[in-house]
Amino acid sequence: MLNIPLALGEPLHKGWPLVLEDTVGVLIPSARPANAPSRHVFTSPLIIANLVSGVRLIVGFVISIVLGGALGLAMWRWIELDRLLGPVFLGLQTLPSVCWVPLGILTFGINERGVLFVLVMGSFFAIAIALRDGLRGIPPLYQRAGLMLGARGWRLYRYVLIPASLPAFASSLRQGFSFAWRSLLGAELILAVEHKGLGFLLATGRDFSDVAKVVAVMIVMVMIGMLADRWIFAKLQAAVHRRFGLE
Amino acid sequence: MSLAETFAPALASSNGASRRGRLVLEHISKDFPGSTVPALRDVSLTCEPGEFVVVVGPSGCGKSTLLNLVAGMLTPEEGRLTLDGQAVRGPHPERTMVFQDHGLFPWLTAAQNIAFGLKMAGVPRAKRDQRVEAALEMVHLRRSADKLVHELSGGMRQRVAIARALVMDPAVLLMDEPFAALDAQNRTLLHEQLQELWVATQKTVLFVTHSVNEAVRLGDRVVVLHAHPGRIRREFRVGLPHPRNFDSPEIAQLVRLVRREIEDEVNRVNAQTDEELWKPKTPADLDRHSVGMGGGI
Repeated sequence: MLNIPLALGEPLHKGWPLVLEDTVGVLIPSARPANAPSRHVFTSPLIIANLVSGVRLIVGFVISIVLGGALGLAMWRWIELDRLLGPVFLGLQTLPSVCWVPLGILTFGINERGVLFVLVMGSFFAIAIALRDGLRGIPPLYQRAGLMLGARGWRLYRYVLIPASLPAFASSLRQGFSFAWRSLLGAELILAVEHKGLGFLLATGRDFSDVAKVVAVMIVMVMIGMLADRWIFAKLQAAVHRRFGLE
Repeated sequence: MSLAETFAPALASSNGASRRGRLVLEHISKDFPGSTVPALRDVSLTCEPGEFVVVVGPSGCGKSTLLNLVAGMLTPEEGRLTLDGQAVRGPHPERTMVFQDHGLFPWLTAAQNIAFGLKMAGVPRAKRDQRVEAALEMVHLRRSADKLVHELSGGMRQRVAIARALVMDPAVLLMDEPFAALDAQNRTLLHEQLQELWVATQKTVLFVTHSVNEAVRLGDRVVVLHAHPGRIRREFRVGLPHPRNFDSPEIAQLVRLVRREIEDEVNRVNAQTDEELWKPKTPADLDRHSVGMGGGI
């Protein structure tokens, strides 16, 4: 324990330019100095970690969307349910997602399901709340027009209310994604499960006092988060807004 | 396809033998305790099949409440409301409405908006497309079929809304101040088009507006509503044949007549609500001030 401050100080002692060079080395293996051990790009821990985290993100986010979507719809439909759950959800949103880790471990153990639990808990409230608010913002006129034209029961949902809530749903997805990504990385950082994700890579960087690795992994995390937001969710939102003529 | 074939197949096939669309309101009352929504008291009104009835009155007289009752969006507390002998219960495509804010679905194109009700009714794809295309042609929007709602102008949106309502072949067409948000030129244009459509389809139309001019231009009958609570004050029959020349002196005269009726009503309401009356000086007032001078000359 005593050697940690020393160990932490060591790479910084080398000076930041060197750390930067190492960081680039971690990010782009081929840019490593010639004398460094060469590794194939596809077996690089960084690439594998990205794939592992990516798969977890997709699986967990889909679960979040389904759960959050259903709950948001139910909270909009039944005001009593909203009165009951709404304040609880708002309160739970203030809870940092890593605080779900202990409960995840005790419920599911240190495994994939534990990680997914943290991801889902960290993001689906946000999706539910955003969708509920979006549904509330649908002009009542659409509902009246739908009823007038014979859209009753589930058809009113399928053909009027759900399409009308698309702009709200798109922004709830965008928000939910950033929650999901943060929750996943937090969970991976703490839970050392079989497959090593990005968060785990960050933890090993800390354990081996590898500042370059730590910085490199952080950069990757930010980049993935930003790219997904810009290229997927912002584009999706813009497409929906274009369709609806919202600017 | 003719207008009648498109919007009123029943009419076209039976040569008008089976006229439907008789709307009867008997002693309708509706209250909204503790709300600003205007109430109605003992309203009775009969619209004969193919009649164009316009309800006109100051804001807050319950015009829209009346229309929403007929549409089935509201239920009356007292009175009977029947369409062709059947009690009105809930919204139904036999009573379609054109809303002031069009109420078109922004995620659908013009054609898809018109097709919506037919789709809900389970009309097969091929037949649906055919009717939608004919409907688009009737409101002169064939080239805008694939435009999204926000790409259409205000007048075009209302034309799509009218086509969407008429394509369902309703027994009665309800119109809630549909042209209030349009500029004067567009409004006149749409008045002409609506007349053309109405003459061809012979639908019963219940039209609500605060514009006396619009009421007299379009209606066979103009019903003036009282406010607080809403009651029928007077009815005017417009005995002019359709299509009408909107600039005719008969129309102008009738507009003056109805307007006087409504001004009285507005003044009465304002007096009731303790609002200060603002009255422009009449020529008589001006005369009085010049009496002394006139006498000197």
